[in-house]
Amino acid sequence: MILAIAWKNIWRNRLRSLIVIAATAIGVAAGTYSASLMFGVATQKINAAISNEVSHIQLHHPRFRENYEIQYTLPEAEKMIRDISRLPEVKSVAARTIITGMMMSAASATGIKINGIDPVVERKTTSLYTKISDTSGAYFGDGLRNPVVISQKLAEKLNVHLKSKLVLRFQSADGSLIEGAFKICGIYRTSNGMFDQLNVFVRQSDLAALLGNAPVHEIVVLLHDNSDIKKVMPVLKQKYPAAEVKDWQELFPELGMLTAMLTTMNYMILGIILAALAFGIVNTMLMIVLERSRELGMLMAVGMNKHKVFRMIMLESILLSLCGGIAGIVISFFLIQLSARTGIDLSAFGQGFEAMGYDPVMYPELRPGFFVGTVIMVIFTGILSSLYPARKALAINPALAVKNE
Amino acid sequence: MEIIQIKDLHKTYDEGKIEVHAVNGISLTVAEGEFTAIVGPSGSGKTTLLNMIGGLDRPSGGEVIINGTEITKLSSRELINFRLNNIGFVFQSYNLIPVLTAHENVEFIMQLQNKPQTERHKRTIELLESVGLGDKMDVRPRYLSGGQQQRVAVARALASKPRFILADEPTANLDSKATANLLEIMERLNHEEKMTFLFSTHDQRVVNKAHRVITIEDGIVISDVEQQHIVHPSDC
Repeated sequence: MILAIAWKNIWRNRLRSLIVIAATAIGVAAGTYSASLMFGVATQKINAAISNEVSHIQLHHPRFRENYEIQYTLPEAEKMIRDISRLPEVKSVAARTIITGMMMSAASATGIKINGIDPVVERKTTSLYTKISDTSGAYFGDGLRNPVVISQKLAEKLNVHLKSKLVLRFQSADGSLIEGAFKICGIYRTSNGMFDQLNVFVRQSDLAALLGNAPVHEIVVLLHDNSDIKKVMPVLKQKYPAAEVKDWQELFPELGMLTAMLTTMNYMILGIILAALAFGIVNTMLMIVLERSRELGMLMAVGMNKHKVFRMIMLESILLSLCGGIAGIVISFFLIQLSARTGIDLSAFGQGFEAMGYDPVMYPELRPGFFVGTVIMVIFTGILSSLYPARKALAINPALAVKNE
Repeated sequence: MEIIQIKDLHKTYDEGKIEVHAVNGISLTVAEGEFTAIVGPSGSGKTTLLNMIGGLDRPSGGEVIINGTEITKLSSRELINFRLNNIGFVFQSYNLIPVLTAHENVEFIMQLQNKPQTERHKRTIELLESVGLGDKMDVRPRYLSGGQQQRVAVARALASKPRFILADEPTANLDSKATANLLEIMERLNHEEKMTFLFSTHDQRVVNKAHRVITIEDGIVISDVEQQHIVHPSDC
């Protein structure tokens, strides 16, 4: 009964209610759409990191990641790879030799991380090969001797291009300096500028020729599904107690926390928007109480208790906010559908994004959970906005309110 | 049987340095089935007296006993509940809820009493038919004339099955035809259902229909007369 009356009451002054609803709808649409953009960016970032860089799980010598020192290798790596490959959740496993060193061209030199890989296996594990455009060479495929794949950023920094010669210099396990001449066979470009500035890829066999052996510093495990991590991690940890077994969230904690951080941030932004809208709702509800003081007085006179009067005002405020909130979510939903396929291209500011490791083309992501959270926040806003007007309503003296004019 | 007992009732308003004695020691009783008018000039204390009898205003002194309950001693919550179940109100300006139909306006009171839906529906129809608005059930107040709205208000006042009806200037906004119509309904309810009416009025036509006329001036009762029903030419 009270709900039905409250619903009818909000349409007494159609224009005024529609203005409040429109304001709420725009605010909620803006808040939820920007949130979906941020969620989309985060997902892109995480997916790109898993796909191009870390995969799902990595195994190292426990001390290797401290300073990337060449002597901290994984013993019996071949057997480990064979065993891990047999797990049903595992899609592929790749072994890497990782050495920090210098890369020099005729023009310049820079510090880099050399990734010695098996291109055939690596193709199955990471998708870096897709980051080489048609005009930027190939992923170790054209028969060059000592081929190297470097990023476009490094190519620009060292002023080199396809088929240019480069010298890689690094320290062997016994401390002696080793140099090797390599030829650029491919130039890649990911959305993560920081990754691009650091990583070059060579064949593990070429490094073995320089070092005299092919030490394995890193085993990279790609799973069929991200959710399998919880299942596979304990198995690997139990099986290889001497190794450091980490999933991508542990390897890049900032990535793991990105979603949680963005969720909190998005709720805060939405909270600020709703707080601003709440003032408008309070104002409207105060006008409603003022205009209807005679009627509210009559209701109290004939026996409507204060609890029910309070509930009626609160419901009107909640319904008003909820109409706006739902309209905003619907608008946001269609905006997300509209832009989810094409993405929003911010290439004009792309360099800044890439420098921070983000893709300049953003794809908004629909998160039903956030929409549910938004509806709860909107209801909460309605309740809060009604408190002061409802108190005003309860202060009405029925005897004065129904007094004949 | 006495439904309303008022003993030495006082109401004083503090208007700065001046104390206004709106009701100054009124004592009276109203028996079940009475059709009583309270008359007096503006500012004489009629509305204040009705408000205190209806539990809308607290007296400064004295007692208001309704059907054996001393209502001045009730808490605000108890008083609201008491009003809902014992007193029917008819206001000068009808005070219907504009977003509800005539049917919903009447039914609403019974919803506050948590009466079952079937009982509410049946009684609402009976009441609206008894005030001659059986064909206006689904009409909202703004599409009804003043007289029709006041008849809905009477039906609403009766909906809770009150012990008596308090009406403050019920015909003040009505034309003569609507006034006659409303009075006829009120009289019929009084005769047939023994409903007690206590109303304030300035309208001589209403005064003429009353069985008892209490005249108030400066917050005190200056006359309290039983009168035979006199048919005046203006009633015809």
